[in-house]
Amino acid sequence: MSQLGPRVGIVLVSHSDRLAEGAAELAVQVGGGSVRVIAAGGTEDGGLGTSAEKVGQALAAAESGAGVLVLPDLGSAVLTVLAMLDDLHGARVVLADAPFVEGAVAATVTAAAGGDLRAVAKAAEEAWHARKL
Amino acid sequence: MPASSESITLAGDLHARPAGALAVAAGRFAATVSLTAGAKTTDAKSVLGVMGLGATSGQQVTVSADGPDAAEAVATLIAILKEATHVGG
Repeated sequence: MSQLGPRVGIVLVSHSDRLAEGAAELAVQVGGGSVRVIAAGGTEDGGLGTSAEKVGQALAAAESGAGVLVLPDLGSAVLTVLAMLDDLHGARVVLADAPFVEGAVAATVTAAAGGDLRAVAKAAEEAWHARKL
Repeated sequence: MPASSESITLAGDLHARPAGALAVAAGRFAATVSLTAGAKTTDAKSVLGVMGLGATSGQQVTVSADGPDAAEAVATLIAILKEATHVGG
């Protein structure tokens, strides 16, 4: 096995704080705990919505030297992240187009195995094709 | 390239956390690694694929690997299957 350096971090952007926290908890459990999975859910006052400030803090917390993959849940979370990415010149942040829960779990597992940002993003996006039955 | 394969009968159902442990371990090998349970075969590096096997207690699972570290990959995954399916989760 190869020596593993810093892992890609994951940021989960949801309209709901509890949804983001729950998805992060699940992804960390399945991934074995070696990856930073940071929830950025809800507005600053705890309501439903997205917060650029929360996302910004989560991006900083998730970065450990290998870049960060961001997974949004629904439409306007995407808008919040896209607006922020314009201001993050040079940062290694990739926005994934993936199912929220499956993408979070697949990305976290690939990051735990030492996958780079491209591989982690690919794992998340391949979750569109994973059948449950 | 060396190929390797081994089968095990599961002592418990293959739940989410063991599936994660398998996929994380498989992802660290250079070899391609696959899992077969019943009629389904999946890339062992894909946690969603491993969960999608729906492998249950008493079912035979085969780990196959092809690549420079194939034998080590098969031994590692068989050990995880032995351990993890005892505790479920």
